[in-house]
Amino acid sequence: MTGLVWLCKRETLRVSKLWTQTVLAPVVSSMLFILVFGLSLGGRIKQVGDVDYEVFIVPGLITMGMVQAAFANNASTIFQARFDRYINDVLSAPMKTWQMSFGYTIGGIVRALAIGVSLLALAVVVVGVPIEHPFELAVAISLGLVLFASLGLVVGIYAETWDHTSFIQNIVILPLTFVGGVFYSIDILPSPWHELSHVNPVFYLVNSVRYGFLGESDVSVWLSLGVTAALAIPAYAWAQHLFTTGKRLKS
Amino acid sequence: MDHHADTHPCGGEVAPARVAPCGAGVVTSLDRVFRDDTPALQLRGLTKRYDDGTLALEDFGLEIPAGAFFGLLGPNGAGKTTLISAVCNLLRVTDGEVLVFGEPHDTLKARSWVGLAEQDINLDRFLTVRETLEYHGGYFGMDKDEIEGRAEEMIRAFGLTSKRDVRAPKLSGGQRRRLLLARALMHRPRLVILDEPTAGVDFELRQELWAYIRQLHSEGTTILLTTHYLDEAELLCEEIALIRGGHLIARDSADGLREHFGVNRLEDVYVKAMAS
Repeated sequence: MTGLVWLCKRETLRVSKLWTQTVLAPVVSSMLFILVFGLSLGGRIKQVGDVDYEVFIVPGLITMGMVQAAFANNASTIFQARFDRYINDVLSAPMKTWQMSFGYTIGGIVRALAIGVSLLALAVVVVGVPIEHPFELAVAISLGLVLFASLGLVVGIYAETWDHTSFIQNIVILPLTFVGGVFYSIDILPSPWHELSHVNPVFYLVNSVRYGFLGESDVSVWLSLGVTAALAIPAYAWAQHLFTTGKRLKS
Repeated sequence: MDHHADTHPCGGEVAPARVAPCGAGVVTSLDRVFRDDTPALQLRGLTKRYDDGTLALEDFGLEIPAGAFFGLLGPNGAGKTTLISAVCNLLRVTDGEVLVFGEPHDTLKARSWVGLAEQDINLDRFLTVRETLEYHGGYFGMDKDEIEGRAEEMIRAFGLTSKRDVRAPKLSGGQRRRLLLARALMHRPRLVILDEPTAGVDFELRQELWAYIRQLHSEGTTILLTTHYLDEAELLCEEIALIRGGHLIARDSADGLREHFGVNRLEDVYVKAMAS
């Protein structure tokens, strides 16, 4: 297990050495969303259901900040390691492949948690967001981070240029997050947008996190957790498969 | 973790590679591994075909005795780096068998016995010199106390003391090359693989690296060296293998190769072998 511990330390060290980029910047941008959207639009929208608008958007913004960080961190760390070929130091080491994939997954999760905890602390002070269901919240966050941290690894392993990683981030994940109910309840959407929202996997993650915080959700929390788990498990298995077979990692 | 390569089955620290089995008694699998006559490296029928169809190695066989200083010579594209990558689990072998001190190369035990300094500088850009060595030691299962001591030892040995807290991208080319070698040796491997370690290196550093590699070999470590410098191969290596197009062309001492090819200089051996 020594190798796994050191790989986890290395991935965490990278996050901490680049903390202004990896943690501070996403926290600042998410807080700006809370301030600009919540406090300015909050004057017009007032409430979504029984919840003040500036409180309603906090779970979605925390989710958005965390999953983007988990994805971006792991896509970049594995791509950089492949590009500079220092990943060979890990691939040749006496470590099992599950230790390699788990070790590389950890960095994104640590970074996302640092962002999430910072945002939560700020949001509690600024808008007083509650945590109604901590267990469901912990499960939702865990599944979401496994899903996006694993996807980051997969994309970082398949990517041939930096553009490939940022393409997935900007063209796939960011739009899905924005239309996943971060800023609104899908109940206000007309058909067919209301129905189409149900095929967006991020919608379920945002709703399960919102349920954990506020006790409110557009769909059943168990359905949301089930969908997120149904995506997280194969995503992790895919990343593990790449390490096991060496596909794209070894020539 | 299987990181007891330097620990004799009967207990106590032992020098790598040249270790006699302890006393009479039951012969264990470890005894087999530590016996002098177990080759450091055995390649049997090794074949590597890349995804684009390039056949880099074909039914390649080679055996390198424990404790040897072995040179691998061949032109670009001959298959040298492919061979090394196969031994170090850095590529997917198409067919064949690779044994390191009798163990399949992809086992944790075999991996812990091999140290690799690659041809290209591939240092982690986020780590300092000290961290590079410590994290490598960690990946290879060394204890924390051992890591700290060994890292300092390597930093001193390779003249990197003043750069210990400098990140790899800020080192000079020579310092990076030293760090690369220090990293390969950090976990005390029994088989050290050096892929053109002196390519692009100035005369002084080359002399330094030669001295260190020789010392390492004198302590019993098996060395597999690839180089384009024929003088380097002749000076350092006890045996030399010539490879071309993924096939072994010849293998002998420098004198034996000259005699076999009927020429006076190793350069002429090389030219003849590659033209044949």
